[in-house]
Amino acid sequence: MAAMFRLQGKGASPGTAFGQIYLAVDVEETFLSPTDPSAEHAILSDAVQGSIAALRELAARSSTESASILEFQIEMLLDPEITEMAARRIGTGDGAALAWVTALDNYIAGFEQSDNEAVRARAADLFDIKSRVLAAMTGKPVADFPVGFVFVGKDISPSVFLAHDWSSGGGIVLFQGSAASHVSMLARAKSVPMVIETGTFNIAGEEKLLLDGGTGSVVLHPSDEELRQALSTRLSMRPIANEAEAPCSTKLRTADGAEISLSINVNDLSDIIGIDHAGIEGIGLLRTEFLMSSAADIANEDRQYGIYRQVLEWAGQKPVTIRMLDLGGDKPVPDRDGTSFLGLRGIRLLLARPEFLRIQARALLRSAVHGNLKVMLPMVTLPSELEKTVTIFREELTLLQRRRISHRMPPIGIMVEVPATAIMLDTFGAAEFFSFGTNDLVQYLTAAARDNAAVADIYTHAAPAIFRLLEHTVHIAATLGAPVSVCGDMAGEPEYIPALLRCGLRHFSLAPAQLAVIRSQITQLNADGTMAVEK
Amino acid sequence: MSNEHDARLQEKDHVTAQWQTEIEVVHGIGLHARPSVIFTRLAKSFPCTIEIEVNGSSIWLNGKSIVKVMGAKIRKGSVLKIRADGIRAAEAIAALKELVEHNFDEDKLHGRNV
Repeated sequence: MAAMFRLQGKGASPGTAFGQIYLAVDVEETFLSPTDPSAEHAILSDAVQGSIAALRELAARSSTESASILEFQIEMLLDPEITEMAARRIGTGDGAALAWVTALDNYIAGFEQSDNEAVRARAADLFDIKSRVLAAMTGKPVADFPVGFVFVGKDISPSVFLAHDWSSGGGIVLFQGSAASHVSMLARAKSVPMVIETGTFNIAGEEKLLLDGGTGSVVLHPSDEELRQALSTRLSMRPIANEAEAPCSTKLRTADGAEISLSINVNDLSDIIGIDHAGIEGIGLLRTEFLMSSAADIANEDRQYGIYRQVLEWAGQKPVTIRMLDLGGDKPVPDRDGTSFLGLRGIRLLLARPEFLRIQARALLRSAVHGNLKVMLPMVTLPSELEKTVTIFREELTLLQRRRISHRMPPIGIMVEVPATAIMLDTFGAAEFFSFGTNDLVQYLTAAARDNAAVADIYTHAAPAIFRLLEHTVHIAATLGAPVSVCGDMAGEPEYIPALLRCGLRHFSLAPAQLAVIRSQITQLNADGTMAVEK
Repeated sequence: MSNEHDARLQEKDHVTAQWQTEIEVVHGIGLHARPSVIFTRLAKSFPCTIEIEVNGSSIWLNGKSIVKVMGAKIRKGSVLKIRADGIRAAEAIAALKELVEHNFDEDKLHGRNV
């Protein structure tokens, strides 16, 4: 038997894992990015052909009258023109799903705008065709790995992480990676042990490894003793996790009586299944880009509506802040050109490609009737970006009115994650609320990329700068009378809570796993962030 | 070039000439879903090209494409021009004209639908 071999990386998400190794050969972001036009053409053509086959089967089982309606749909799909409308958009770089939806929406708009009732009535048939083909597009499947395995590779994309079932354990060891990356954040939120920055190591012929996401150690061929210890540590951690789920329905207050609200950040519907919302204010941040596993979902208004409605119904009358698609940065996008951290991302990308924005706006407007919805815009830098988005919401609202689909205009607020926005917050009076995205705010304030391990230390040392900016911004928000919260990782880290309180912040939105720790910490602090003296 | 074209036309016998007709749509709600299916299926049963133009728009659309025919939003009172070019053009025009004039009579066409 080979000797025990130990490697030291950095802990990115605490917890221990022991399991079979899954070595990722080459990790590419597969999720929304269309590979090549020919693959997208194939997805489109397969979906159209599949829909025709399904319709034929359905028509054969239907009454003559229904069959004639289905015949119409079949004829439409058999017409090469319909595929070509979408194919032209694939030629300009769109993925199949988006190309299909945009082409059909344009075609349908021509019917909806008619002054003739009979012509307008055709729009419904065309919607049906649009949805059917869209539903047939499953998108490109994300390469998954066996459950319970430890993922080992250079890096792991958020989509691979999210598509994987972590309920049977497992963990992640990355040669590179960064504690501030989205995957690290997702891993902490889901309590998946993760070690980063181990450097490349050879695991050819190895089968299992043990990792400790707290200390950052990785052990090949652990001794029985080491394994026993690791497993007992894992077991001893369980009660803490259980405590996090225990509801606490009384108002949370600091030791000196200031009321504090805690909301949760949600990346995945499984985050809220089984969680009681009694002890929380609501959902402070729902990251929609993580809820959608394929380009087909992003283009699918009904699927989005279904997801939002489910979350709103779970929350009852508690506020649910849904953030619009924050694509770009380290989150993959359909068209990757110019989507770096400093390029087209968040609201910039949505305004540059308003097809996405309009689809999501409609889904949000429709779901707003099912609960207490707030809509938050990511990466807002200029007041005009907020104005343009609100205009698009109003336009889509008019469209829904015409279609007689129930809807409601939700309050629209912004993420404060660009330093210019924080400094100029007084020019954002049109925003109905603000939420600090500290992860990006720190990155942009310090000019230190959060996915670059070499500059990771700058984060910690630059904390005073961020708190000075936060204090200034919280003060402006108060003069505007707009509610303000923090939804970045800082809100879930005990070491930053005193300083955040000192800045005047009273509403924190954090990963559900951090609730118990932060709640108990706050009761021991005064509103100015100082430790309460034991009486 | 137009001389060449004319010469070619003259060479054609009556089966392959270009034919055109003009009809007013009197069907209750115009060329909606079901009539569009029947119209385009009939058009597709002929080898010649078939194009339609609505209300003198000068935009000629492929009469075999239901997407285009639907997109033309033909309604009651619309003036429909149909032109056909190629093999069996005369027959195609006659059949399509009759179809529109007889309110897309489905029973009569039943045997023709594939």
